[in-house]
Amino acid sequence: MSHSSTSSEQNYDEIHQAFEDIKTKHRDDLGEKDIRYIKKIRRYSRIFEVIGRGLIWIMPGPLALIGVPFLFLHRNLEAIEIGHNVLHGQYDSFEGIPQFHSKKFRWKAPIDEAAWRQEHNGIHHVHTNVYEKDPDLNHGFLRTNAQVPHNKWHYFQVPIYLFFVYPAMLYNFNAQNLGANDKFRERRFPLGNKGYATFENTEELTEDAAKKRHQRAVWRVWAKEYGVFPLLALLTGSGFFKVFLANMLADVLNNYWIALTIQATHLTEPLQPEDALKSKGKWYVSQLDSSVNFKGTRKQSILWGHLNYQVEHHLYPDLPSHRYPDIAIEVQEVCKKYNLPYKTNKNWWQAISNYIGLLWRFSFKRSASVPLEPSFLEKEASNAK
Amino acid sequence: MLNNMKNTLHPWVIKKIGRDWLEYVASNTMNVATEAFDPFIWTYDCKAKIVEVRQETADTKTFVLLPNQHFKQPLPGQHIELTVDIDNTGTPVARCYTLSEIQQDTVSITVKQNPDGKMSNWLHKYGREGMILDISSPRGQFVYRDQEKILFISAGSGITPCYSIYKAFETQINQPDVAFYYRSRTPDETIFRQQLEQTKNDNSVDISYSRHSEEEKTSYLPSQLIEAYPDIKERHIYLCGPEPFKNDVLSYLDDIGYDLNNLEVEHFAPLQATSQSVDSFTGEVSVLLKSKNIRFVIDAKDNDKTLLEAAEANGVQFEHGCRSGMCGTCRTNLVSGEVNGQQLGKSIYPCATYPASAELVIE
Ligand code: FES
Repeated sequence: MSHSSTSSEQNYDEIHQAFEDIKTKHRDDLGEKDIRYIKKIRRYSRIFEVIGRGLIWIMPGPLALIGVPFLFLHRNLEAIEIGHNVLHGQYDSFEGIPQFHSKKFRWKAPIDEAAWRQEHNGIHHVHTNVYEKDPDLNHGFLRTNAQVPHNKWHYFQVPIYLFFVYPAMLYNFNAQNLGANDKFRERRFPLGNKGYATFENTEELTEDAAKKRHQRAVWRVWAKEYGVFPLLALLTGSGFFKVFLANMLADVLNNYWIALTIQATHLTEPLQPEDALKSKGKWYVSQLDSSVNFKGTRKQSILWGHLNYQVEHHLYPDLPSHRYPDIAIEVQEVCKKYNLPYKTNKNWWQAISNYIGLLWRFSFKRSASVPLEPSFLEKEASNAK
Repeated sequence: MLNNMKNTLHPWVIKKIGRDWLEYVASNTMNVATEAFDPFIWTYDCKAKIVEVRQETADTKTFVLLPNQHFKQPLPGQHIELTVDIDNTGTPVARCYTLSEIQQDTVSITVKQNPDGKMSNWLHKYGREGMILDISSPRGQFVYRDQEKILFISAGSGITPCYSIYKAFETQINQPDVAFYYRSRTPDETIFRQQLEQTKNDNSVDISYSRHSEEEKTSYLPSQLIEAYPDIKERHIYLCGPEPFKNDVLSYLDDIGYDLNNLEVEHFAPLQATSQSVDSFTGEVSVLLKSKNIRFVIDAKDNDKTLLEAAEANGVQFEHGCRSGMCGTCRTNLVSGEVNGQQLGKSIYPCATYPASAELVIE
């Protein structure tokens, strides 16, 4: 029994209920299993760290590179499968694991947690793909749709991002979450922040306070990776620069990996209407319409922080991520039943090339004449007329 | 030996590094090993270590505490809540104590032994240097607000917050015009008597004794305050003491036509979870936001507001996004109290929950 149109309000209520049912089912099931899961991932992360740093320290010269993949695994698990998910509050309701409570958690990544929670959880996840509202449409100054006014920087956006921004992607987040990006655009762009979401400063931070938070988040990583461990190596007769460079390599790999993962999981078109939030059913649909999954095995998914289940993540940002593969099956059924968009890329590579193709297309001015693709909600609304 | 080392190290670390940096370093280096090595520093909780115990009077001791990095800077007159699992039952006892002194890195509480007081007896018996206690960050509205003329009225152990504010004036350049009225039973039982008498010349300090044969002639009864302080109506009053004393003074002030808006009364009760929950709660709700150490009161008429809206109406900001229970941004944990609405174990969604008990403590 499939519905041909979703447009009636009653239908949106039903859709809302269908998605709520999935949420309730998994909420009721939360328990030991989830605690075990997050602890297990942390344990693996530690093991990889010990092996990685150990090899980098012991192995002579270029052989130290053998340790880099392990260090990368450690940093990657900490950054996304643990960090990103924990900061969504996915493990807040479990007692006895304060280290995984969103407000107590400290990220082993150069990103200030409180500002991240506000920007990512409170803005990006709420106003996904809403023009001038969702900062993740631009991650700095990217032009990802025809509506953003074009300027000369955009001609170079593909090389700038591929060679300079993505290798340091995580370092860019503070600039986005604490206001530095706005200032850059104000200074350099003829129309300033027109077409971009701006920093909302919900915590009412002074400029100095924001700067301090920004710097502290970065220095905790640098001090460890480029200070303490290279120095320890030096003191124990192993090379300072060997460790320094190996750590840097792991850092860059980690940044690049995460950049490509997050970029490949949102279709920046179509833009979503701002008022989707007014109806919970419509909000769910707008989330479906702006996220895209790509396929991978369970293990691979962990390395992508389950962001390849972006659709499920955006529907239920605070359910533990290891449940997304199961949730996906249920979500697909609902989508089928109500004829809703459920977007998937065949694999990571296809997701990335699609995305880079899009960045390329919008680096040119003429793309401005390409008509905007309407969102699912808008299409439905006009069908109903 | 390790413990001795830590005892000398902790004050040094807090003094030299400061709480702000210590928090930064400790929170970012928290792991099983560091937590086991030094649970005073590597902890998610606000704790304090006893660094000195002083006998004030026969039944009163002052405990000097060194709080860890989770402690917020206190204001004179504020109090802390002390939590101890006295009987090892898993249900700890909590009591509030005013900070009698606030120093650069330490704070003190002055505790009078009360024959049937669980906590005061326990503290007097077991409180030793080096002991680590669970405390709260400083709380309370009984703080000095830059008034020019003030009068402290206190009795018994109610002197502590008054003394704490009074003492803080010592280091202040612009000193207000202060009068200090204190009622005690006998000189021997008078806490801070020496300290008060030393400063007696500069300010008008009156100690009046209720059970003392040769009452000093300056002593007035609480019912003669207007004789003692003819300008009493121009002064802001800070009142603290046992309930009957406070009630007497209050009705007296009312009788003489004192403007009660100029009065600060200290009343503290430890926060206890109210166990009974109701479907729709009607009444005032007092909310404590632990992480920010903010307390606010939700008016009874605002009971139909979500916790998020009610907080905002009080000028308190919660992290939030969708305001409709979808995104999880506002999610936080309930420490004690009851709410109705969207809840997940201890986790609540302030944008979709309503208070359902008179006291709420939120993480
Ligand atoms: S603000 Fe989104 S769940 Fe409360």
